Amino acid sequence: MLALRKHISPGWWLVAPFFLLVACLYLGPILNILWLSLSDPEPGLQNYSKLVESDTLARIMWTTIRICVITTGFAVILGYSIAYAMVHAYRREQSFMLTFLLVSFWISILVRTFSWLMLLGRKGPINEGFEAIGLISEPVAFMRNELGVLIGMVHYMIPYAVLPLLVNMQTLDQRVMSASRNLGASASQTFFRIYLPMTTPGIVASALLVFILSLGFYVTPAVLGGGKVLMVAEYISVQLLVTVKWGVAAMLAALMLAGVLAMLWIMSKFMKLSTVFGGASS
Amino acid sequence: MSDKQFMRETLVEGAHAFKAGKMDRRTFLALCGATGFVSASVLAGDAQAAADHVVMWNWGGQSEECHGSAIGEAFTAATGKGLKFDTSGPLEGKIKEMVDSGNVTADVADADLFNAVSLGPTGHLEAIDYSVVSKEKTLPGYALEHGVSIILYGYAFVYDTEAYGDNPPENWADFFDTEKFPGMRSLYKWANGSLEAALLADGVAGDALYPLDMGRALSKIKSIKDNSLYWGSGSAAHSMVVNGEVSMGMIWQNRGRNIENDTDGRYKLVNNQALAMPGAYIVPKGNPAGRDAVMKFIATAQEVDAQLKLLDCLGMTPSNPAAFNKIPEGQQDYAITSAKNIEKIVYNDPDWWGKNGGDAVNAFLEAIS
Repeated sequence: MLALRKHISPGWWLVAPFFLLVACLYLGPILNILWLSLSDPEPGLQNYSKLVESDTLARIMWTTIRICVITTGFAVILGYSIAYAMVHAYRREQSFMLTFLLVSFWISILVRTFSWLMLLGRKGPINEGFEAIGLISEPVAFMRNELGVLIGMVHYMIPYAVLPLLVNMQTLDQRVMSASRNLGASASQTFFRIYLPMTTPGIVASALLVFILSLGFYVTPAVLGGGKVLMVAEYISVQLLVTVKWGVAAMLAALMLAGVLAMLWIMSKFMKLSTVFGGASS
Repeated sequence: MSDKQFMRETLVEGAHAFKAGKMDRRTFLALCGATGFVSASVLAGDAQAAADHVVMWNWGGQSEECHGSAIGEAFTAATGKGLKFDTSGPLEGKIKEMVDSGNVTADVADADLFNAVSLGPTGHLEAIDYSVVSKEKTLPGYALEHGVSIILYGYAFVYDTEAYGDNPPENWADFFDTEKFPGMRSLYKWANGSLEAALLADGVAGDALYPLDMGRALSKIKSIKDNSLYWGSGSAAHSMVVNGEVSMGMIWQNRGRNIENDTDGRYKLVNNQALAMPGAYIVPKGNPAGRDAVMKFIATAQEVDAQLKLLDCLGMTPSNPAAFNKIPEGQQDYAITSAKNIEKIVYNDPDWWGKNGGDAVNAFLEAIS
């Protein structure tokens, strides 16, 4: 007890009840989900064996991962450009850009999804405009397919990609870049050999954030995919609400959770996660 | 569960206890204050009345206003009890969750009759009391142990008169024929109606649909997959048509009426071979208002007057045969049980859907994704 007291600051005893409460409120439901995946409709592993038996589930998983990877790629590349521009803009412009970024961050996902539908739909201004100037003879199918889902998701994810990158870029020591130029490196050499490696923690952080959030996307694929792009989150919701196969839904939810944790674990093998989330790097 | 809902339930519980004499007036008033029930009605009598109502669980939007005027007013006049709404949509999974959690907050759910088949035997629903509710006031086969059909809605389709004005499509076979009628189609995403339409298009007779031949239906669905979009809500179905995304769209027939009006008749509704879906009232097990009150409510909804008002307000078709020949002239085209349409419609089998619906939805999703 005395040894324990030495290691634990007495302040923790004050926090302990709340900490325990929060831990229970988080862990309880998660354990319940895990239990459901093993016990509904009957005890056993039959929900998990469906993963191997049914190509539908494999296909849904594959669609989800494919869309999430592409979304992450585009969102991070675009987000990197925006963050780079913001860091190097004058203070006034910077705050303008930040305001626009945050405004789009605050607009509801439904509104943003339906705006794309109106803008890029068959009778939207883009298609009508292109047709009017004779660029295309048939409306381009931007929406109600995988392309539509990707456009909607990348757009939604850009602010999430920008913010970690922005924080990372703002903390860089600009003198390092000046030194590189001073020592004779060209601008692109400086960027690729000095700047880019120094922003790796920011890139990893924003990619992780975007990828994990993309996994749970539900509204955008359901609306912009025209019913043909089925991702895990929507499938889970159908199994919960319509077909009432809670075991399958819980199994998929548990799998997604395990996937995210596994990803974090693999990441931690390559780099200190605390640097990704803004901690000290040493 | 939202805080608001929690507060409301606390108050209702309190009102019950107060009424039963288990709680004194002062405690009850304090409870009223604590739950934010702070208006002129912090009179014990009024708050107590909060317990004397039936909560209807429906889909919101217009249906709230329409259920109130068509059924609620008559119900209040007859019993003195009010009608309140929970508009979060009684999907099967939500009903199951509500009953399993032991925290039942709705008295009657505006659901599908097949829900009564799947949730009834598992003990999630109260049985319908046919000494209060009438089996004669709905179509034969649509008064089941745990649910009774109050209205019918139909899966019909609308087409673009500008695309097919000279030679309009007349049935599901035309709907699935993209050579004769080129253009995009839209179908319901959760299989219901879509499977039946595919089989009818493939030449299966309307009275020989069930049990559904899934393989045959899905291959027909896949045959127009490249030309199809799929909708999951009435508003999505509506917007796909009026935004010109499809030239023929499957639609709930009451939405078809709105589309004809919104587009000044450019899109026209076809009710031939419409699939009649029994919309049913079902009662979650252990509903708060008690079984007697809710059965009276369901009986009120069966009356011809309520049925005709629902048709007028929501476009839902009466299921009470006594109302069929009272459907007004202006609604004849849109109501699927009107003299004009009733011979041409095909009836859904809630028993098949209740027992096979989950697997059918998953097979359908697999085929379209």
